[in-house]
Amino acid sequence: MTTAAVAERPTAAGHDGRSFIQRYIFTTDHKIIGIQFLFMSLLFLIVGGLLALMMRWQLGYPGQPMPGGGMLPETMAPDGILLPEFYNSLVTMHGTFMVFFAIMPLLVGVFANFLIPLKIGAPDMAFPRLNMASFWIAVPAGLLMVAGFFVEGGHAGAGWTAYAPLSARPDLSGVSLGQIFWLLSLAILGLSSILGSMNYITTVVNMRAPGMTWFRLPLSIWSLFITAILVLLAIPVLSGAAIMLLFDQTLGTHFFNPVEGGQPLLWQHVFWFFGHPEVYILILPAMGMVSDIISNGSRKPVFGYHSMVFAIIAIAFLGWIVWGHHMFQSGMNPMLGTTFMISTLVIAVPSAIKTFNWLGTLWRGSIHFHTPMLNAIGFVAMFVIGGLSGIYMATTPVDIFIHDTYFIVAHLHYVLFGGSLFAIFAAIYFWYPKMFGRMMSERLGKVHFVLTFIFYNLVFFPMHFLGMGGHMRRIYDPTEYEFLQPFQPMNRFITVSVFFLVAAQVPFVVNFFWSLFKGAPASENPWKDNGLEWTVSSPAPHGNFAETPTVYHGPYEFSSPLVDDDYLPQSRAVDPQPRPAPAAGD
Amino acid sequence: MAHAAVMSGAEPGAGVYTKKLGMWTFLASEVMFFTALIGSYIVLRFGAAETWPVPTETLNIPLTALNTFILICSSVSMVKAYAAAVDDDQKWLKIWLLATVIMGAMFVGVQVYEYYHLIHDHFLPSSGLFGSTFYTMTGFHGFHVSMGVLCMSWVTIKAFRGGYAGGKYQGVEVVGLYWHFVDLVWIILFTIVYLI
Amino acid sequence: MPTTEHKHPNYIAIWIWLAVLTAVEVLVAFISSLPRHILILALLFLAVWKALLVALYFMHLRFEPKRLLIFAVAPLPLAVIFVMAIMQEFP
Repeated sequence: MTTAAVAERPTAAGHDGRSFIQRYIFTTDHKIIGIQFLFMSLLFLIVGGLLALMMRWQLGYPGQPMPGGGMLPETMAPDGILLPEFYNSLVTMHGTFMVFFAIMPLLVGVFANFLIPLKIGAPDMAFPRLNMASFWIAVPAGLLMVAGFFVEGGHAGAGWTAYAPLSARPDLSGVSLGQIFWLLSLAILGLSSILGSMNYITTVVNMRAPGMTWFRLPLSIWSLFITAILVLLAIPVLSGAAIMLLFDQTLGTHFFNPVEGGQPLLWQHVFWFFGHPEVYILILPAMGMVSDIISNGSRKPVFGYHSMVFAIIAIAFLGWIVWGHHMFQSGMNPMLGTTFMISTLVIAVPSAIKTFNWLGTLWRGSIHFHTPMLNAIGFVAMFVIGGLSGIYMATTPVDIFIHDTYFIVAHLHYVLFGGSLFAIFAAIYFWYPKMFGRMMSERLGKVHFVLTFIFYNLVFFPMHFLGMGGHMRRIYDPTEYEFLQPFQPMNRFITVSVFFLVAAQVPFVVNFFWSLFKGAPASENPWKDNGLEWTVSSPAPHGNFAETPTVYHGPYEFSSPLVDDDYLPQSRAVDPQPRPAPAAGD
Repeated sequence: MAHAAVMSGAEPGAGVYTKKLGMWTFLASEVMFFTALIGSYIVLRFGAAETWPVPTETLNIPLTALNTFILICSSVSMVKAYAAAVDDDQKWLKIWLLATVIMGAMFVGVQVYEYYHLIHDHFLPSSGLFGSTFYTMTGFHGFHVSMGVLCMSWVTIKAFRGGYAGGKYQGVEVVGLYWHFVDLVWIILFTIVYLI
Repeated sequence: MPTTEHKHPNYIAIWIWLAVLTAVEVLVAFISSLPRHILILALLFLAVWKALLVALYFMHLRFEPKRLLIFAVAPLPLAVIFVMAIMQEFP
């Protein structure tokens, strides 16, 4: 078995005679692959943000030439005025890029890759070469998705949900090649995600260090593990759906074409059967990493560790039986609709458990407001707002009123931007020293957080009012509707705020690149955290651990009475006798 | 040595070695992929459609029954190859692997022949929902078989070079799991697409 | 890799079972004059029987640790939920 074990991990510590290409480009090192995903998905985050900016310009100033719009070709924006067809592509591609190429790789590609082996005490992933393949399959998928903008007929315009028959029939949408590119790209990206999640699951199950029992795993690893299971089982469903739609487009099949007996409703079911687990793929890792950071920032153990784990598992399981709540307006069997409504409302229970546990962790902690902590607290606050508006739309009668309005847009951005993205910022600030060996600037980080938090709320909170007023989503020109005319000042206010929100990201970009070269060198454990990754040098060396660590404690032993420090690394053995507590304090 | 024990995946974990666990996770995702295709077929046929052509009138059942038999035979030769690898019986390992590759390729060949005649008889992917679902499901199954034949050829070449000598059966077992899974999917497809 | 050594099951017997079951399937589908829903149930029963034989013996799930069994069957409830729920839409 020894030989096979060595063959399984060609990048084990010790032999490091790798060329530049082996080290940084076609690398099998999970940390470098994570960083590759980081750069790719941050790039797509910027692309997605710029698409949103163009969209908002059209909504705030419909029919007026966009500043800089003259640079776009005639087929997109003649004289800088966005064409309706191009606006449809913007709506579609903003969603697609953000969901599939920014948030999902940021959480699953970057942090699952970077954190799992480091935090469980493994030298690398179980299948390092598959891991490399996973990244290099994602790159052509991204290129294909971008290329769709430049083909004849423009990019896909049927929304990121690609509802059939609009997406299936070029004679209805006028888009053929763009939609085909979109579907192919998602099918290829699906393969990348499946390979990645195979790796994550196998690694967590089989490669934990001695003593790292299931209930000593950090919550970030728990959530990434459960997320990997969701990816493994949900993404192939999307691939299957995308392939059927692709065949409708190219081979003339009739899956979703009602004229020939196909069922457009079937697309919605298959898509959302994937789509709702996808929603939890986008939030669960964020919840896990926030748990780690909040515990660190409060210098207290996470409140209710076991209930946190069971809440993650419960959310993941319930996520499979709620997909119909996206389709209350599609004409559903009422019995089925009620079932979906109840199962959706039940999800509020584990979500609330997690929220109260975060509050319980903060309660009476000695809170350190470092930048990761600020972003993590921002996550909790925004997730509560987004979660509460989610309960509104889970109830069928309310949803029938607010379906397809800006209320939905507000909700999904409160959980995806206010939730996931703040958690991603927190995680980047937190683990940046371990990735690059330098600290990010705390001052710029705080400026970035405060500005983002303010302008983010200015952008998305008013959308609740727009939605209650009946403002539909995905419309090109709100001024065409008489009843939306009074909302135009609010639309314009949102657009102006978006410009400030984008500008508020400048400190982050500057901070990120400046710190790469000029940041203060990071010590081994700058945040005084307990995880195994903080026992190795910064940046973490190739092969991770000189010798496999042994784990003695759970991950959240902050302010433990066993030691004088206020933290207790998982791999530090202490003598079993608790020391006498200090006279004052707790 | 504790380190090696962790790496081999004996403890802690699923109680099987890492490659096998990886293959099972992959198969779990494959189940969901075929769920999307087969589930859509079931819904379209038994839920939505008013009329559905009788499959036995369009498709060549005796030929496909023969093909099913070939695939079952290739599955048993695969498992015999695995048994030979476990027992370190190099001669029979090579024979059984070669037999598996040949029968797998035969299956694909018969399927191509079947497609050729169906298309010749104007039964196309665009021939209603039956054509759409038939070609999508059997086509993706055929694609999986083809991939299996490719992997199996690689394993066979490695076996002829002595890569599995000395009881190193893991590679044979892992590719075998994939092969049996593809066989299993065909058992389901044959019944619900051709016979029902 | 020290595995729990078990005697190889009689693979040829399984193979004969599979071949016979396939023949029975074809015969049932063609020759019998069973009512349609009984025919469908009978064919599904035979298919599941064959699939179980392959999974339990050829993929030797029967001899694996129970934890791996969980991995193998985990997607099946989801598949059932998927089909059963969508079927409700088309009564």
